[in-house]
Parts: sequence; C-alpha cells; structure tokens
Amino acid sequence: MENTAFNVEYKPRTGSEAMCEALLDEGVEYLFGYPGGAIMPFYDALPDYPLKHVLTRHEQAAAHAADGYARASGRVGVCVATSGPGATNLVTGLATAQMDSVGLVAITGQVGRPAMGKDSFQETNVMGMTLPFTKHSFLVEDPDELYPTMRRAFEIARSGRPGPVLVDVPKDVQFAPTADKGYRRLREAPPPVESPGLERAAMLLRNARRPLILAGHGVTLGGAEMELRLLAERTGIPVVTTLLGISAFPDDHPLYLGWPGMHGQASVNRAIDRSDLLFAVGMRFDDRITGAAHKFASRAKIIHIDVDPSELGKVIKPTVGIAADAKAAMRSILGHLDNAPVEGEGCKPWREELAKCQEPERCRKESARAEYGPIQIMEAIKAAAGPDLRLVTDVGQHQMWAAQFFEFTKTNSHITSGGLGTMGFALPAAMGVAFAYPEDPVWVVAGDGGIQMNIQELATIRDFGLNIKVAVLNNGYLGMVRQWQQFFHNRRYSETPITGPDYEQLTASYGLAGRTVSEGDDVEAAVRWAQEKEGCAILDFHIDPEANVYPMIPSGMSVNEMIEEDGA
Amino acid sequence: MPEPATGVALNTIEVRFTGGMLALNRLLMTLQNKRMPVAGFTVGRDREGMRAIILLDCPPESALRYTALISALEDVNEAGPAQTIEVALIEVSGDWRSAAERAGIEAHEDDGTVVASGEPEEVEYFLASLGVEDVVRLGPVTRPGAGGGV
Repeated sequence: MENTAFNVEYKPRTGSEAMCEALLDEGVEYLFGYPGGAIMPFYDALPDYPLKHVLTRHEQAAAHAADGYARASGRVGVCVATSGPGATNLVTGLATAQMDSVGLVAITGQVGRPAMGKDSFQETNVMGMTLPFTKHSFLVEDPDELYPTMRRAFEIARSGRPGPVLVDVPKDVQFAPTADKGYRRLREAPPPVESPGLERAAMLLRNARRPLILAGHGVTLGGAEMELRLLAERTGIPVVTTLLGISAFPDDHPLYLGWPGMHGQASVNRAIDRSDLLFAVGMRFDDRITGAAHKFASRAKIIHIDVDPSELGKVIKPTVGIAADAKAAMRSILGHLDNAPVEGEGCKPWREELAKCQEPERCRKESARAEYGPIQIMEAIKAAAGPDLRLVTDVGQHQMWAAQFFEFTKTNSHITSGGLGTMGFALPAAMGVAFAYPEDPVWVVAGDGGIQMNIQELATIRDFGLNIKVAVLNNGYLGMVRQWQQFFHNRRYSETPITGPDYEQLTASYGLAGRTVSEGDDVEAAVRWAQEKEGCAILDFHIDPEANVYPMIPSGMSVNEMIEEDGA
Repeated sequence: MPEPATGVALNTIEVRFTGGMLALNRLLMTLQNKRMPVAGFTVGRDREGMRAIILLDCPPESALRYTALISALEDVNEAGPAQTIEVALIEVSGDWRSAAERAGIEAHEDDGTVVASGEPEEVEYFLASLGVEDVVRLGPVTRPGAGGGV
C-alpha cells in the first residue's frame, strides 16, 4: 500500500497567497473591493483566508468605504480594484484620503508583465496617474518582493502623516510562485527629538492674555484628544477646531467655542482675529480656515505643531514651529507647564468676553429651533440616536449645517471629506464606519446632489444588513453652488437645479425603508421611526430650496468681509 | 500660483534617491504639484544611486520647507542643501581640462569661455591650480559635479 503521507506535493505559495498572508499579518479584517480580469488570481486566493471582503457596487465606493473604516477605526483601510477602469475609479477615493491624511492601502491588478506598455486591454498607468495624491506607490514586478512590499505599504500608510499607498500588481506576478523573503523595515523612523520650541511654546501659553487653541485632524489621527483636553483645562484656554478637528474636543465642554472658517461661527472667526496667541496643533491652515492668509490672526503669535515639517510656514509663518506628533508635543508642553505655575484665571476676562460675543448666536440658534429646517433635523437625529452616534456627512450646505448645529460629544464621531470636498463620499464612507463599529448608530447626512453620486451602495448596505440611517436634505438644488451663484453670479442659477428619485420608491426597490418629510410633518417622529427601523432607512427631508449657510466669508477674503445673514 | 521668483535667492538642494524612473517621476511630480519655483534641475546616476540637483528661486526658509517635503518621499535617501557654484573663465592659458579632472569638477568650453562648476572648495582648487584671476562668478547652479551627467 502506498504511503500517501509522503506524497504531498510541495507547492510554493503564489503571489496572490503572499498578498493575502501580508494582509493577515497586518491584522486586516475587511477589504472593500470589486473584482476584474487583472486581479482575478488575488480573488481566487481570497476565499482561503479569513479576510472579509465587502463587494461594493463601484470602485470609488470601495475607496471611500476603506477611508471611512480607517477614519473611524484608526487602522489602515484596504481597497481592491482591477486594472484600467477599476483603477481609474479609485482615483477620487485616493485623492480624498490624501487630502485628509487617511491611511489606506489600495491594491490594483495590472495587466501581465509581457503585456505592459503595449496598450493592452484594460491597461492603464495607475502609478503615473496617482502620483500626485498617493503618499507612495509600488509596481511590484518581482514576485518575491510582493510580501515585503505589501507589509511596507502598510507601514508607510500609517506612519508619520498617514496617507494612501498604492500597490499595483501585474496579473502574472499574482500567479507566480514566490520565495519567502520575509519582511524587513526599509527605513527606520528616527527617534523623536525634544524640540526646543516646546518649552518656548509653554512660556507663550503661560503669558498669553487672549490665547486660543486651534485643534485639527492631527489630534484625532494622533489619538491626542486627552492631551488636548488636559492642556485646555490646565491653562483655561478656549478651544476651537478645524472642520476635521470637530469631535476631537467635546462640543459641550465649557472651553469649546466652535469652529472658524468660511462657514464657521462668526464669533469664532472674530475670536481668532482678536487673539494674541494661536496654538495650532495638527492642522495645516487650509484656505477655508484662513481666507486671506495675510489678514488671518494678524495680532497673534502663532505656535504651529504638525507631524509634517513641510506644513510649517507653508501658509502661515509661525512664531514657533514644531514638527512633532500632536500627542507627544502636547504631553511635553504639559510637562513644561508643570514646572511653573499657570495662572488658571489668567485669561478669564478673555473667556468672559468670548462668552458675551457668542450670546447673539446662541439666541439666533434658539429661535431657529422652532422652525422646520436643518437645526431641527440635526437635533432630532442627536436625540434619537443618542451619545454613541457617529455622523458621516457629504459635501455642501448640509455638511456645514451639520457641523454648525450638531453637538458632538463622542471622540471621532464626525466624519467628512474636508480637504478634497468629495460629493458622494458619505454613503460609502458610512459603510466603512458601520463595519468598524457595528454596534454604534451611524447616520449619514447628505444633500440631494451628493447622495445620488454613490446611491448604488444601498445594495451593498442591504446585503450586509448595515444599520445606517440616511437623512437627505433635499432642496432641489446643488445648494452650495446655488448659494454662490446667488451671492457672486447675480442669482443666475446655471445648472444647479437638480432632480432626483422618489426616495421612498427607491429604497423600496432595494428592499429598504424610506419616508418623505416636509414642512408641517413631525421631524422628531420621522427620525425616531428611522432610528427604530431595523437596517437602513432613508429620510428625504424637503427643505427650503433657497436656504443659505451663514455666516460666509467669501473665498480669499477676511473676517471683515463676512456675510452674516440675508441682505447683509 | 507658484511662489514668486525672487531672482536673487537661489538655493540648491541635492537629492539622493533610489527607484529609477518611477522615483524620478515622483520627484518631478512633487516639484510640479507643490509649485516649487524650480530655476534649474539636473539629474545623474552614480554608484550610490541617483542624484538630482535642484535650484530653487525662493527665500531660504521656503527652501528648507521644500527640502523637508522632498525628504519625506519614500524613495529619497537624503535631501539637503548643496553647494554647487559655476564660474566662467574669460582667459585661460593652462590645461584646464586636466585641472578640472584633478579637481573633480565639470568644465566645458563655450564660445571661447571656459565654464566650470562644482562644489566651492573644488572650484577654488581648480582656479588656484590654473592661476587665473579673470573670473566671472555665476553663482549657484544645478550642474552636478563628480558622478553627474545626464
């Protein structure tokens, strides 16, 4: 009798298997992707590994879902696409992640090596195409390099300032046998060095009379929310955040003022204008924050802390520039503050002045609560979903209203596309958030323009039974563009009126629940209905078609040119 | 808008990198993408890999920021300020070719004028070995010295 135990054929692992093993070794749980010709060997290997694949209905959605997963979980998101159109469809998602410093690894199939450079079917130079908005990219032509390259891609994506990394793998490399070359770190990160600027920053914080802390996305990315809170409470300095910094500091904290910028609170913009010290941490002085950069915080000394040294002085020249991780820097500053007493009451008059300035805004918000519109909708969502809610917004007027009127008390609970301003982001990104936190309520707030850009993902949401609720703020316009046309193009509403589906019928066709809400309906009851429904539900809120977002600082202008209300 | 050219503040950055054409492509894309005020660019290859010399027309603090940006590129092993100057010799009698070779700098003749470039100390050694005094100093350039050549 033949001894079969010794007849097991040794089969070297293939490139695809090496890719899957690298994903497992990186602790990857979810991949968001869409198969196709050039990535088929990888998809053939995938079922043999405990990796969960989420089949989206478009590659762009795969990239946004991986992005949402990464933002919510703090882990590297993974998306997969085939060559050619699959890869080109990822582009918007990669650019979105790059602009907001989100760690992603995008795996693309490429035509086989012999076919490359010959205009082969579904061949495209995805490396060349994505150079400007990837942190790094690899074209792996040596099968033995696949495993270490994959591991390296993750290391690059999450280290320092996170960003998207592309790994392009020719089809024959995925098939090819690979030798185990193991993984080696290619470049060791230098040990952190204590910047002399940190002590100076502490001195400036101690001595300022009208200081502000301006916290950005870097605080969330660096997990520095606690340090931010400790620093604010230790010094008594009021906190403002960037759009992506929202939820890095609790909205209901007495030291929280709000967020500045083009559509930020008027009182916050004025506070920055009057401040004598701006402690800017984990942010990059985006033009939506500064407006006219030469007029921004013109009376203030600036402390700028960012993990990316090339951000220091890019837009605003800092008094003290510190290239450091937000968490480490604030810890160090807290240490320096411990060595000397801080006048906790030092900026008390400043806080009182700011509270006074915010009073009219509070009154306006209070009176608007009674009206059907964005405030009422946001407050109803918050009330129904509770404190664990994670809100994902799209891009446009609703995004600003959500940021203005929603109260974020949970860390990292506000997810939006800030830098690139990608319409169509919210629905797929919310899928990523829902996979990261399946127990938490996830709401999408979107406009009637953006929601239609990736509406096909309702099928993915249904397939996985994701508990995502969607509020469409439907004004029949591309609202933010219409608002700009009203202000700057003499109300010439060129191509901004937009129609859409009947969302009740649309959701029904996907096997989901939907409801239309108009003025006079009970907003709270509708939101409660959606919250209590099992699985995904869409609420189509028909709102005032010409409602505007206020205040508004026109592009490139300063706080002095701020438009605060209709006719102002 | 790219940073306005100063016309007076030329800063030279030397970049050492690996990764061949893809890496070069990424470097060039970064220069263009970040609108760096590039006044000159040369690239060469030596035993240690590829070397680019970039001449930026901007204040030194901007050049430092751009250097930090370039340093962060994954293919870049090293990026820092480089000192490459160029001189023009109006009249020269000695064997300037051998002198340039000994000094380890690049030199060529252009319409009767010898133009030499390299690191400041090496250029000074070259000038001293020829004993020339009639020299026009052209300032920093991107021409690579030893190991250069496109």
